[in-house]
Amino acid sequence: MKIRWVIVLFPLLSVVLISVLVQEHAAKAAASQAPAAPASASSVMAAGSNGSASLTIPDTTLAINSPRPMSQRVVHYEIDAKYDATRHTVDATEVLTYHNLTGQALDHFPFHLYQNAFQPNSTFVREGKILGTRDTRYDKWEEKEFGSEDIKSIEVVGQGDLTSQLKFIQPDDGNKDDKTVVDLPMARAIPPGGYVQFKIAFQTKFPETQARSGWKRDFVLGGQWFPKVGVWWHGAWNCHQYHAMSEFFADFGVYDVKLTVPSYEVVGASGVKVGEVNNPDNRKTVAYHGDDIHDFAWTASPRYKVKDDGVYQGQMGPVQMRILMQPAHWSQVERHEKILKESLEHFESWYGPYPYKTITLVDPEPDSAAGGMEYPTFITGETSWFMPDGFYMPELVVEHEFGHQYWYGMVATNEFEDAWMDEGINSYTEVKVLDSILGKRTSILNLVGATAGERELQRGDYASVADLDPIAQKAYDYYSGNSYAGVTYGKTASMLLTLEGIIGEDTMAKAMRVYFMKYRFTHPTKEDFLKTIEEVSGKNLRWYFDQAIYGSQVLDYKVLRVDSYPVNWYEQKRSLFQKEDKNTVYRSSVWIQRKGDFVMPVELEVKFDNGGKVREHWDGVSRWTKFTYEKKAKVESAELDPDHKIQIDRNDFNNSYTAEPDGKPARKVTNYWLFVTQWLGQALAWWAV
Amino acid sequence: MNGNEGLLSGGWSRVTRNKRYIVWFYILNLALACLGAAAFSNQAHDYLDHSLLSGRLVHGFDVAVLIEMFAQPEFGTTDAARASGVHFALLFFLAIVLFLPGVLQGYASTYRLPREDFFRACGRNLWRFIRLLIVAGIVMGAVAAALLGLHGVLERKALDSTNELLLFEVRVAGLVVIFLVMSALRIWFDLAEADVVLSDQRVVRKSIGAGFRHMWRNLGRLLGAYVVITIVAAILLLAGLGAWMNFVPPASVASAIFVSQLTLLLLLIPRFWQRGVVVTYYLQNMVEPIAVQPSTPAPVPPLVAPPVPVIPSTPPETEGV
Repeated sequence: MKIRWVIVLFPLLSVVLISVLVQEHAAKAAASQAPAAPASASSVMAAGSNGSASLTIPDTTLAINSPRPMSQRVVHYEIDAKYDATRHTVDATEVLTYHNLTGQALDHFPFHLYQNAFQPNSTFVREGKILGTRDTRYDKWEEKEFGSEDIKSIEVVGQGDLTSQLKFIQPDDGNKDDKTVVDLPMARAIPPGGYVQFKIAFQTKFPETQARSGWKRDFVLGGQWFPKVGVWWHGAWNCHQYHAMSEFFADFGVYDVKLTVPSYEVVGASGVKVGEVNNPDNRKTVAYHGDDIHDFAWTASPRYKVKDDGVYQGQMGPVQMRILMQPAHWSQVERHEKILKESLEHFESWYGPYPYKTITLVDPEPDSAAGGMEYPTFITGETSWFMPDGFYMPELVVEHEFGHQYWYGMVATNEFEDAWMDEGINSYTEVKVLDSILGKRTSILNLVGATAGERELQRGDYASVADLDPIAQKAYDYYSGNSYAGVTYGKTASMLLTLEGIIGEDTMAKAMRVYFMKYRFTHPTKEDFLKTIEEVSGKNLRWYFDQAIYGSQVLDYKVLRVDSYPVNWYEQKRSLFQKEDKNTVYRSSVWIQRKGDFVMPVELEVKFDNGGKVREHWDGVSRWTKFTYEKKAKVESAELDPDHKIQIDRNDFNNSYTAEPDGKPARKVTNYWLFVTQWLGQALAWWAV
Repeated sequence: MNGNEGLLSGGWSRVTRNKRYIVWFYILNLALACLGAAAFSNQAHDYLDHSLLSGRLVHGFDVAVLIEMFAQPEFGTTDAARASGVHFALLFFLAIVLFLPGVLQGYASTYRLPREDFFRACGRNLWRFIRLLIVAGIVMGAVAAALLGLHGVLERKALDSTNELLLFEVRVAGLVVIFLVMSALRIWFDLAEADVVLSDQRVVRKSIGAGFRHMWRNLGRLLGAYVVITIVAAILLLAGLGAWMNFVPPASVASAIFVSQLTLLLLLIPRFWQRGVVVTYYLQNMVEPIAVQPSTPAPVPPLVAPPVPVIPSTPPETEGV
């Protein structure tokens, strides 16, 4: 065969070969889902059984390192769920026991049906189409994006079957097509202090992963997958619809969940595993128990590789670290375990003990939109097969999601209404912890000379949306997805770092610890947090909170101008070669400006060319001010906030001014630009002519 | 010596004999890019020259500070700077179109091509090159679109696999295939360009046909040479970037400029080497022999030399005094 035919056939054969390989892999994946050989049914189930008639909430402590319950337990969920890995559905029964601690009779109960969000006319999708979601664009609707959560029947013990009474409600936007909240009027009101038990049969159909829930290939993440009762909060039911930019809110309690899955699946879930039994139909049932948690998530995949021999000796007892990794990421398992352990150490030492017996870290299916999510004692990380050591994205994600065990998991704020209290406070502690572990300026990147720190990136997120929304705003009322993210995460982190500068790092650390210890296992409000800061610091900080949290004021200080000239300038001879007289007295002025509408006292440091320094304090009330000096030296530079305490200043570049320009940084950056431009021209010429 | 070596060494000798072309194109590339980067440079100087924070860009490479700079509304959008960069890249491309015939003529010459001959070749072939460019654009664009489409389909298929690495492998394999096919097309039109210039071919389609025939008949030899040269280019780029990252101190802007510009200068060589290969191939295989009419020379009458007086070899004896 002549060489030219070899060369022509090579691409064609390559295409065919690649197609065959792809098909083969797909076939293997399908085969791995096929039922395995029958397993022995020798295990004994230890999980709580359905249909318990005792109307009480258990005071079990099986899943926590505490001899007594740590939360005021309102709910007890007993769920028996069967997962169909082919149809991606769950058929389940749920027994929910509710303890009425509201102090008043309850005549109706709203339930979240979160999976109904994944339907074309839901509020979630309508908002997502305009604002975008974190992972789905909804350019066109595909059937695999459909999810649902249907209550087949609901019985209230002692009141009979009330299925026909269920009514979808839309408390937030009145969208009649939204079915994410259903209300159940009671035949008889539940008195204060009383118990009520619901027996629900439901079916959930997962979409291909959206909003960190659903299936991808042979993987599934079961998040927000069962009917969940709303929270009675401040004298009313708080049960919001599922929005494109919102998360969740639920009461603490006990979870007993039995998951029946194909026997080849590797399963991970919230809480502690209490039993596993192999069924005759090539399926297995795995039972989990959770104490003092307010949600339950699980995952299954036939390909997880598991590391569960790591134990962290916590302040309240040992914590088993269970890590489920993708096979292609197994080389990173130590890296994941290390950051998880270091996060545990830092949180326990700085904020308070981690009371649970387990923490499960899941490395979800690649490209699954399931990475970076938190559930009680269960988090998902995010990485890829190629992850250089100096790029700390896996560390950032694991630390962040672990932090949610504190700010969401235990301090269970309302994520619909105060998203900043979990995401923002968590972003602040993320900066602190990662700074401590990886270095202030290298906490994201430290690779071949390039560096990046987390705090600058948080401020960068906020800077682009600084004048759009206040922090104190419902998650679904933000102008856009970028605004939600920039303000909820970036601005809140920057705001708290600035607050640390105002009250001192030690005081802030103490306030955070007090806040955690006081409000763990409760649902604090924003004022609970702010008052704690004020109490611990002993300062009235309303001037700051009103602008930074309740207002949308933008903080931006600028050194406007620096000028020095000889006092006796009119006597001086004009000569190019005249040497400067060391005894010449200069009149120097520094102008500083408050560009934004956020008023805050600020320090100014003026440096002179004889090495002298002056510190000034400005209250920032007027739009600008000027400081003038007469010295035997000229001003070399002026810098606002020289100690870098004001992280919320949206532009740090204009906070300083040097009398003499230094063109080096611009030349360096321009050189990159020039290189790219030249290379682009060369590449174009290479291929086009 | 096999054929490839002949082409490679022949092409290389043409490049080294005509180094001035590379230098001139480098200067042109640099000058146009400087103009293209001027808007960005002004933006950067205005924003960074008086700020203490910008020092973090010099003493190391703080990506977070760079991102913050681009995020600031005061820095302004880089749309205008990007657009001018692209425009000047296009200008460089057009300059290559304009001056390439002169380069090919110079490579084919056994002597240093005079300046007027260089520009004459450029002017004479400009319109032919534009026509060639249009045909090449259509052919290469259509093939590239088809291959990229197929590549996309395979990538989507690979995404369904539970083997995470498969997507990467498919991507790399696909890009290699696309590179080989596009290189073959590039050879075709490079041969056509050489034919247009060196045969002074007015009918461009004839050169395109000849280029295709020769590319097809000698694909292995030509593609081998092109691939080797591309690998050299890739090594040069990686070596340049490696040196930039590993040996240039972060604060030394002058060293960074030197290394980056040296890399770009060296990166120009491989493409000119490919041109040299094509000219060598053309001269070896495509140049048509000049037809010589056999003719019988008219008989030339023998020259009848006039009688030459015989000069005595020894001087006549002189009489004694």
